[in-house]
Amino acid sequence: MSTLPLSVPTRRRRRSVRHTLDVRVSPYAYVAPFFLLFCAFGLFPLIYTAWVSLHDWTLLSEEHTFVGAKNFQTLLADGYFWNATFNTLSIGVLSTVPQLLLAVWLAHLLNRRLRFQTLLRISMLLPNVTSVVAVVVIFSQLFGRDFGLINWVLSWFGIGNIDWAAGTATSHIALAVMIMWRWTGYNALIFLAAMQAVPRELYEAATLDGASSFTQLRRITIPMIRPTIIFVVIVSTIGAMQIIAEPLLFGQSSGAGGGAASGGPDRQYQTLALFVYEQGFTKFDFGYASAASWLMFLVVVAVAGINFLISRRVKGGTT
Amino acid sequence: MRLRYLTLIAVAFFSAFPLYYSVVVASRHNSALAEVPPPLLPGGNFLANVSRVFDTVPFGLALLNSVIVAGSIAVAVMFFSTLAGFAFAKLRFRGRNAMLVITVATMMVPAQLGIIPLYLLMVKLEWTGTDYALIVPALVNAFGVFFMTQYLTRALPDELLEAGRVDGCTTWGLFWHVVLPAARPAAAVLGMLTFMSAWNDYFWPLVVLNPDNPTVQVALSTLASGYVNDYVLGLAGTAVGVLPLVAVFALFGRQIIGGIMQGAVKG
Amino acid sequence: MTPRIRRLAVPVLTASLLALATACGSGGGSPATEASAKPGEKIKLSVGLFGDFGFKPLYEEYKKTHPNIEVVEAVTQFNDHHNNLVKRLATNAGAGDVEAVEVGYVSTFTSQPGKFVDLKQYGLDKRQGDYLDWKWQQGLSKDGQQLLGLGTDVGGLAMCYRKDLFKKAGLPSGRTEVSALWPTWEQYIETGKKFGAAKVADAKFVDSPGEIFRAMVNQAPVGLYDAQDKIIVDSNPDVKKAWDLSNQLTQEGLTAKLAAFTPPWNTGFAKGSFATIICPAWMTGFIQEQAKDASGKWDIATVPGGSGNSGGSHLMVPKQSKHPKEAAELIDFLTSKENQAKVFKEEGTFPSIPALYDDPSIQNFTKPFFGDAPIGKIYSDAAKALKPQHLGPKEADVRVAIGNGLGRVEQGKQTPEEAWAQVLQDVQKIR
Repeated sequence: MSTLPLSVPTRRRRRSVRHTLDVRVSPYAYVAPFFLLFCAFGLFPLIYTAWVSLHDWTLLSEEHTFVGAKNFQTLLADGYFWNATFNTLSIGVLSTVPQLLLAVWLAHLLNRRLRFQTLLRISMLLPNVTSVVAVVVIFSQLFGRDFGLINWVLSWFGIGNIDWAAGTATSHIALAVMIMWRWTGYNALIFLAAMQAVPRELYEAATLDGASSFTQLRRITIPMIRPTIIFVVIVSTIGAMQIIAEPLLFGQSSGAGGGAASGGPDRQYQTLALFVYEQGFTKFDFGYASAASWLMFLVVVAVAGINFLISRRVKGGTT
Repeated sequence: MRLRYLTLIAVAFFSAFPLYYSVVVASRHNSALAEVPPPLLPGGNFLANVSRVFDTVPFGLALLNSVIVAGSIAVAVMFFSTLAGFAFAKLRFRGRNAMLVITVATMMVPAQLGIIPLYLLMVKLEWTGTDYALIVPALVNAFGVFFMTQYLTRALPDELLEAGRVDGCTTWGLFWHVVLPAARPAAAVLGMLTFMSAWNDYFWPLVVLNPDNPTVQVALSTLASGYVNDYVLGLAGTAVGVLPLVAVFALFGRQIIGGIMQGAVKG
Repeated sequence: MTPRIRRLAVPVLTASLLALATACGSGGGSPATEASAKPGEKIKLSVGLFGDFGFKPLYEEYKKTHPNIEVVEAVTQFNDHHNNLVKRLATNAGAGDVEAVEVGYVSTFTSQPGKFVDLKQYGLDKRQGDYLDWKWQQGLSKDGQQLLGLGTDVGGLAMCYRKDLFKKAGLPSGRTEVSALWPTWEQYIETGKKFGAAKVADAKFVDSPGEIFRAMVNQAPVGLYDAQDKIIVDSNPDVKKAWDLSNQLTQEGLTAKLAAFTPPWNTGFAKGSFATIICPAWMTGFIQEQAKDASGKWDIATVPGGSGNSGGSHLMVPKQSKHPKEAAELIDFLTSKENQAKVFKEEGTFPSIPALYDDPSIQNFTKPFFGDAPIGKIYSDAAKALKPQHLGPKEADVRVAIGNGLGRVEQGKQTPEEAWAQVLQDVQKIR
């Protein structure tokens, strides 16, 4: 670390100069690792991708002709791109909204002295231990049309075999369930960590005032952990906008057929990230895929921005 | 109170069930999947299927690679994120807010967007096929920085830092003696989550590693390979791949969760 | 204060620090595939495959005569394998010493002769006489000057069927009688209707139309591409006919809606969810693997509509290989006459070496699993009758587009006409 010399307090003359230097410079040194790494492995690829998006660029040919905005124009007229945008938003909403509500509630329930509390908390994180590959393999089996456990349970209620992967709505639900299952406990734990920082006395006072558990959640917990909530909302939104492994593997392991990267034969569950993957890594049309990733980037920014504003407002309103 | 327990137990059940079910399937033969009602108890083929896993792919090597990669990343992320989070949360410097916004904004960069340039970079560095290609780009991330910033903003009282300054601590000294201890609960959570996500990372290792030197996830995708996907083999591999994480949990889960429990501001 | 940090962070930290310590050790030493070997030193060859090629026993054997060569097999999922190979060729890093390429992709790769080793350099053109001519041609570069790949197997067509289900449906079940039921695809569909009318519980006539379509196109003299590498899906009547017939299966309700090579399809084998499946030689290995409990229930009849080829692979050596000579020698060994025969007997993948077709050990070869069907004779006949078909560079992509169309009809999302219109649009975008 470049900051190490500063850390040895020599306590000799010129201490104040040293001190000023320390206070002025060290913050930059502390954030530097992140920015350096980001420039090398985040920014450079991003800029390079922008460059590629302006070209007729396939992996298979050595020639890359400059075509200006042509890829973007084609993209805006490409029905499959908009279909993917719709699917992404749909799956995003279906998975994120119930997930975060459930996570806050779970964290609230866990934020008490409980018997077996460690065991209960650990169990919340179990799904996140499981890899995407495994989650999709397991859930594709559970959501199987002919021999799936879920259809078997539904059959008790007289519901016939649902072909989950075939329908637009049903496939979105199946994917949303996979995502929720994997991430709810994770987010609950993040909320819980934040809730630990809320002073106990507030709850004790509220309990004395006869406030119910739900009121305490609404009036004390949520306002107090607002920064964390905003954080989780944004991170989850961004995550939801970039979903790829689930639909890709779902396509491979459900009986839908066709190319796995097309997200079902009717592209009924192809997300934006999967669209980019399909163009870039199965058709090797890097120019087009790069343009798509840039538009996708804009969509992510827009959606995350809107969510940021909403989550700020809403919380302000309830207090 | 009873409702609370019932709810939590129900959630715990749903959290555990798919994993349990994967063990059930992994301990049977492929044809068991077609039974109605589906089998709900483990069969007797688990060890046989697991040994099939080790015959099919270099799973021992995969486990070792995953431990190395996920472990190194987790430690580095905890350290660098706390460091940067400390600067963003508690230090004053020109451009702080702008840099924080930029940090958060970087999270919106779709990871898939950069895979090809990143791959070309790894080729240049001659890191393809090695663990470096997985570790180095992941040493610190925006999520961790932002997570620690948010946490330290709230959980680290300014008075503590001022007291440290009065005692003659340098900024580094403050970080070491005041911030790190206060950051423990969140850093532990971050470390664990990072470990898990690094362990479960799928796309990048698939692209950059060669199948003869895989991580667990690459090996798992190999298991479900070829013209035919073998559920049983895949799930047996999954079960073995999850075991190390479950072991980390069993050994350290109490301390990690306990770290969260202790509360942050009681320092 | 430090002890406090330690108490909490120690478990996580130590575990990972230990790991960190080893990281440097193993990271530095691991690029084993690239280790340049001095003469006499151990050489590690990596072989990239997309399924079980049945090569494992052969490596052991090879080691006996080549003690300094260690072969490491890397198996990846079918799509990932070919996509990764494209990526690795483009970036000149990460490819194996020997890479398998399926017939749907072979033209993609032979059109990049600069990326592969010309096997003539290592004298493998001596093998030309062994091979089916068209299989040999597929391994050549566009201009025919360079030898880029040596064939492994060919996928001569047959039709596998479940005797027990045919009996239940009141249909004949002997393989000669069954073959007589369907000289043409139209008659195959008629048989399907009879099977459907018999309402056999939990069983459909066929798994899904996808592979049937592929077989029908492969039987035509010209397929998805013309000789000039132009996609002719929209103008080739044989393609449209195959499309119509495939959709007829769907519309008559004869398919189990189980797309090939998905886990539910595997389960379908075990469960007996379908009575017939198109059976290129390599398929017999899968049936045997997936339907372990169904030994004796499956049998093999001739395919409707004449002979054709579905599937089969080549082995190629990427130019980035550090040991091209050794890799070429290994290919020579793996594709040798004796070894192709061995692999056939184990895995069912059928040799591309015609001298074997009349070899008694192949001609008389039977499989108890398929009711002692003479699979050696069946597939020899199929292979001998094969007419080569020109394959284009984006064969696989075109197939996916059409497969998606068939899927849309099967899932009831579109009429065949709507689906066809969309297929044509999709195909147009492929370049």
